[in-house]
Amino acid sequence: MNIHEYQAKKILTRYGIFIPRGKVAYTPNEAKRAAVHVSLRGPWMLKAQIQSGAREKGYFLDSKSRKGGIRLIKRRRDIVREAEQMLGGTLVTAQTGPKGKFVSRIYVEAFQKVRKKFYAGMVINRVVPALTLLIANLEEGGKDIITKAVEEPKKVLKLKLDFKKGASLRQIELVRRFLELNEPSRKHIAKLISAMHQAFIENDATMIEINPAGVTRRGRIVALDAKMSFDGNAMFRHPEINRLQDDYEEGGRELRAEKSGFQYREFEDGNIGCIVNGDGIAMAAMDFIRTKGLNTCCFLNVKGGVDRDKIAAGIKIIMTNPKVEGILINILGGFLRCNLIAEGIIAAASEVGLNVPLVVRFEGTNKDAAREILINSRLPLIIADTMEESVDKLITAMEESE
Amino acid sequence: MAILVNKDTKVLVQGITGTQASFHVRKSLDYGTNIVAGVTPGKGGTEHLGIPVFDSVQEAMAETGANASVMFVPARSVKNATTEATEAGLELIVCIANGVPIQDMMEIRSILKGSNTTFIGPNTPGIITPGEARLGIFPENIHRKGRVGVVSRSSTLTYEAVLEINRAKMGQSTVIGLGDDMVIGMDFLDAMEKFSTDEETDAIVLIGQLGGAFEEAAARHYKEMDIKKPVIAFVAGNTIPFGHKMGYAGDIISGGKVTAQDKKDIMRHAGMIVVDRISHIHEQLQALLQP
Repeated sequence: MNIHEYQAKKILTRYGIFIPRGKVAYTPNEAKRAAVHVSLRGPWMLKAQIQSGAREKGYFLDSKSRKGGIRLIKRRRDIVREAEQMLGGTLVTAQTGPKGKFVSRIYVEAFQKVRKKFYAGMVINRVVPALTLLIANLEEGGKDIITKAVEEPKKVLKLKLDFKKGASLRQIELVRRFLELNEPSRKHIAKLISAMHQAFIENDATMIEINPAGVTRRGRIVALDAKMSFDGNAMFRHPEINRLQDDYEEGGRELRAEKSGFQYREFEDGNIGCIVNGDGIAMAAMDFIRTKGLNTCCFLNVKGGVDRDKIAAGIKIIMTNPKVEGILINILGGFLRCNLIAEGIIAAASEVGLNVPLVVRFEGTNKDAAREILINSRLPLIIADTMEESVDKLITAMEESE
Repeated sequence: MAILVNKDTKVLVQGITGTQASFHVRKSLDYGTNIVAGVTPGKGGTEHLGIPVFDSVQEAMAETGANASVMFVPARSVKNATTEATEAGLELIVCIANGVPIQDMMEIRSILKGSNTTFIGPNTPGIITPGEARLGIFPENIHRKGRVGVVSRSSTLTYEAVLEINRAKMGQSTVIGLGDDMVIGMDFLDAMEKFSTDEETDAIVLIGQLGGAFEEAAARHYKEMDIKKPVIAFVAGNTIPFGHKMGYAGDIISGGKVTAQDKKDIMRHAGMIVVDRISHIHEQLQALLQP
């Protein structure tokens, strides 16, 4: 689960991390008032609040201006006009995909002058597994962090932290030297790292990124940007964070699926809708569809669902997607029982109608009962025995129905 | 004896009285699994599905000699249930729950570190030694006894791998689903080690997928193993990047965006037989193991 920059900053500041003064605004007039509130003379930063990196290098759809989602404003009278351009627009970045994300609010911040910038990230390295601190110097106009990580991996310091205790004194000193920070910054870097760790643990975070952090003339360290992601499975412990989830960030279908405990994703190309019960089979099916020259436009992962009505609601999401010209259902029942899926298919089809070819492949728990239910339903669907056969049969049926 | 579980494994079920647990325990009993005890706090002294129920793991072990647990407790109780099972000294825990918090798993890892307990999962279909023991939620009608080991991160593709082995007219020694949560217990390395010293396993089918660097670690380890058995590997996720991206931290750890193809190249280089399609698994097995 992700939250916005201004929300992440608010959380981090509770742990003692310095942030520039800022205020969120939903309208251009609010932005103007917020600007005066955070700094009398400016300059100011206007920052689109969408959950994506690379906002600065992004662009707004249907906008003549090629300016990005992060703007430096020097004159107060420009604020309303710039805010108008951003609010209500759709920002496309390297991480959002070509559809972009809707900007419903901007963060107005006092511009903070710094003499040096660096990257600080905290994340769990799955394979070890261990909490890991990532640190890198960022030169003005130089490579961004990801380019650096790929091209010069040695220029990114990676430290394995004790999950409970966080960084040791030796590790903090290592970071200080790596960043070539001088004496006045010593206590600030120690504070930053321990605050990140504390915020990570206390909130069940999965990632904290300060990209960049800035060092002021006096050696203070300020989080100029901040991102936090959280473990959705632990949000029962943090209702206050769970409430920050922004439904605008998810499309309508994604949200409906999520409410049923399922996962739904859409892709740019393609005309096949897949219903599966696991990431593995989803990926394998999509890989195989691709080898046949076709693409998947959406998939629904019903995971281990055992509620018939929810399954029907999920299947309806795929059936009512106008891009879908053929549906592939691949269920390998273990915990999940195939007969429930079969009943869900019938319930969904009788409600919204089945007007595209549908191929079903069941294997595992209660598969025979499931097949029988489908055959007795007299729905015009096709049954297959293996995943690859189901794809082949679907493609043939789609060609015939054209 | 295949690996980790066989007909002599004495299984206790934590959370035995739940609906899903009951459904699958019944199937495991029908399968012939030696289930000796159930544990549900507060229900000690009763019987469920003909199995005696105890209040604690320790009591159940003392009374029945159980040495493995299949855990059907809800995700948020997994940490406590694991602590209890580990402290009692069980050799194996199979954790079915989906949605265990990552921090709980990090703590579980540190609890396990000083113990002799092997933890499979969470979010796994479990482990099955065909014809002998089923600890988990596997469809019980697809497995056949044989000499091919299976280890997989994906539940659903575990079943595909099993079907492929059947198609090759062979069977499985033991099938293990590792689960694909952010933090898991047993990994590919542990499974390969165990299979490599198992006299009843001739070859291993390994199923990986995009996300994390588990396959890379497995490949590095395989290259250096003294006893090597042939590994046939499949990696899902060639076409589409998964998940919502927000930051860079994950990519920095792996040194950039990793594709399924990168994983396959590394595995191939380490001497594994990498197949591009699931249906090639049975062909490779036949080429490999048939005289």
